[in-house]
Amino acid sequence: MTASTTRQVSVDSPFLEVVNVHKRFGGVHALRGVNVSITRGQIYHLLGENGCGKSTLIKIISGAQPPDEGSIRLEGKTHLSLTPIASLAAGIETVYQDLSLIPNLTVAENVALSEQLVLGNGRLGRTLDRTLLRSTAQRALKSVNLPHTDAFLNTVVGELPLAVRQLVAISRAIATRAKLVIMDEPTTSLTRREVDNLVRVVGELQRDQVAVLFVTHKLDECFRIGGEVIVFRDGQCVAQGPIQNYTKAALGHLMTGRSIDASRYRRGAPGTAALLEVKGLTRTNHFTDVNLRVSSGEVLGITGLMDSGRNELALALAGVLPATSGSVQIDGVAALLKRPADAIAHGIGYVPEDRLGEGLFLDKPILANMVALVLDQMRGAFGLLDRDKSRVVAEGLVTQLQIATPNVDLPVQSLSGGNQQRVLIARWLTIAPKLLILHGPTVGVDVGSKDTIYKVIQGLAEKGMALIVISDDLPELLQNCDRILVMRNGRLTAGFQADASSEEALYDAMLAGPEKAAA
Amino acid sequence: MSTHIGQTAAQVAAPATQTPIQAAGQGAARATALATNHVVDAPHSNALTRLRERLDRHPELFTLFLLICLSITVGVINPNFFQASSLFDIARSSVVIGLFALGVFVILAAGGIDVSFTAIAALSMYSITQFVATQFPTAPLFLIFLASTLGGMLLGLLNGFLVHQLKAPSLIVTIGTQYLFRGFLLTFIGTVWILNLPEQMDSFGKLALFDTKSARGSRVWLPIFFLALPAAAVLTWWILNRTLMGRAIFATGGSSAVAERLGYNLRAVHFFTFAYAGALAGVAGLIHVCANRLANPFDLAGMEIDVIAAVVLGGARITGGTGTVTGTLLGVVLVVVINSVLIMMGVPSTWQRVVVGAFILVAGAFFVVRRRR
Repeated sequence: MTASTTRQVSVDSPFLEVVNVHKRFGGVHALRGVNVSITRGQIYHLLGENGCGKSTLIKIISGAQPPDEGSIRLEGKTHLSLTPIASLAAGIETVYQDLSLIPNLTVAENVALSEQLVLGNGRLGRTLDRTLLRSTAQRALKSVNLPHTDAFLNTVVGELPLAVRQLVAISRAIATRAKLVIMDEPTTSLTRREVDNLVRVVGELQRDQVAVLFVTHKLDECFRIGGEVIVFRDGQCVAQGPIQNYTKAALGHLMTGRSIDASRYRRGAPGTAALLEVKGLTRTNHFTDVNLRVSSGEVLGITGLMDSGRNELALALAGVLPATSGSVQIDGVAALLKRPADAIAHGIGYVPEDRLGEGLFLDKPILANMVALVLDQMRGAFGLLDRDKSRVVAEGLVTQLQIATPNVDLPVQSLSGGNQQRVLIARWLTIAPKLLILHGPTVGVDVGSKDTIYKVIQGLAEKGMALIVISDDLPELLQNCDRILVMRNGRLTAGFQADASSEEALYDAMLAGPEKAAA
Repeated sequence: MSTHIGQTAAQVAAPATQTPIQAAGQGAARATALATNHVVDAPHSNALTRLRERLDRHPELFTLFLLICLSITVGVINPNFFQASSLFDIARSSVVIGLFALGVFVILAAGGIDVSFTAIAALSMYSITQFVATQFPTAPLFLIFLASTLGGMLLGLLNGFLVHQLKAPSLIVTIGTQYLFRGFLLTFIGTVWILNLPEQMDSFGKLALFDTKSARGSRVWLPIFFLALPAAAVLTWWILNRTLMGRAIFATGGSSAVAERLGYNLRAVHFFTFAYAGALAGVAGLIHVCANRLANPFDLAGMEIDVIAAVVLGGARITGGTGTVTGTLLGVVLVVVINSVLIMMGVPSTWQRVVVGAFILVAGAFFVVRRRR
């Protein structure tokens, strides 16, 4: 880090200014002269499609990468680049999507070690101040309403549920007395209730004159939280201003450069013949007595809180977590789903939420990922894989699903989130499933790609496929489904016609009745 | 080893004394009571859950449990096991492997692995012994130890440098340096045994911390060099639990990418862990020479697996970020007991490997199942 000039700092001058920053990776010009300014006590939403340079900007601010050109001005002091320690010392705390928690260390250590690291300017040859560690951790945990007993302080972070880990990560920002907290897609895997709690904590940070920068895809949340938006497109900042000056459509347009239709995607009507019939399906400790029917050409939405049993229900239908009792019929034929292979044999496809961990072979070509389920049909001479045959299949799917790639031999990791998701859907299309279960189909996917994925879903339904969409994204369900079922405490508790329902009604049904103690 | 067998035969012939067995029996009973008394008034299932939670927090309790089971089995078959002399035997044999294990544990905790430490120990002990014997016979003992420690540390630093600069898996790097160090030793330093140790080293090996005769007239003694093990254990514990470096080591072992992002200096962690293990290996090598009263350049080779096994049996995950000093020491004692005790039980030494292997599988299976829940 280089300090070249020192200016007089006035009260309302920005805390952080990014001045004309450029960054190139090989041939890719990731940031093209970006200017952003951040003032303390303000909330910002950094918006943009995947690959627009958001993450690069965050890395430069947090000191993980140096800019190629331009500078960073922190409280009036100009730096050509930052290091992680310098950035922390200046009061910038970054909560990456993985929360940057060390799973094998305790809550207290995760929260309060950074402070001591900064005090020693990163030197490790110092004794640990355990009294300071404990008191700092307690203070920070108190302010996010987490317990601050010794038992909790000494709990290993890896054992905690995700929502609690999120709060632990934020309390680290409080422990380091951060002046700017950056959160990279913090609500992606949280339920609405957990998001509400996060929003409350952010409000408290704001009152303490901390600036908060959200990196997010969820426009609805941005409007709910309020503050300023910073919109990126193709490595440039195309807009910055108070969010109330924009509409959702305007932001979508700024991010993608094209207009996004925010109305209902669902046009067709479901057929009448029951394709899937589930009766009394039960899996001990997960879900109880689930009865449902899906017709061919129908899009059924299922939602509920994280622990409602909806994830397990989907996995049971996919043969991953077999049910303990009850029956499943496909096209009037009883289907015994004990293993994923059983589900595939009955024409059930399952696209998991965690497409990186459970679905895709990231470093393998798009082609190989697409034909993974039908390798036996791709056999050529000597039983070897017929490259030409699989290429025809893969290229057909790329066209059908509008996957943006120059060729099918590139690894899947070269694609954006939305395109990766489509590769996964394409793989299931190769077995021509009768029923496709999509779990969180647009998690971590940008606005433009969402639009394409929704169109794909509707296209499949029109061809007579039955689809089950499991999602936290209520507008997504309302826009795409015929019916929406709500699960609570392992049971289906409510059903709605999507065109005659609202987010509020769904949300109330998710929480209805006596609330369980917060997990 | 041959002395062991002779001793054992004599002891088997002699009538066994009752008291040590009783004492040990009571000890074991007390330990069992301690392990279970906190659940006496709780319902059965609750007791199991609590025991399980306890094991989750302290996997080394399982190592202790294995050790107690093994000791009781051996004691029943050969009551001579419960004697002060076998305790001291175990203590004496634990020193070198224990020093190695502490070093390996520190590297393992940081998410690395080292298989070159025996080569480091051999190179540094043999070169220094040779230098002292031929060039500087009057060198004070502390200087000899200092030189061996520094020598080991420098070789360890080389490991750390390579691991950090090449960003290569430490297994590959240390396999490479193991060959390098051993080859260098045999090619450039020497291949012959040094039987006439310098006087100060020889007498250090014989110096007793504690020396007495047992009731039947056999010598029961503990050499002073034994103190190196508890000293190193306390130092290692202090570094790991009371310094920022210690926390940085566990953070790196838990997730090096996150640790780097949080501002932990990974280079410092790599350099420190490998240098520390190297330094311990240097000390261990020299103690090995003094204890055996001979410097054999071919010694110590092949011991790596025993040491790594001991650390893993002590509850440290091979993938890093976990483990305790206590667990490591228990793992060391377990391996030493298996190795020495089977002889007392009349089991052929070829069976030692089978038994060590079985124990590793049992402990490994236990730790894996524990994690999967």
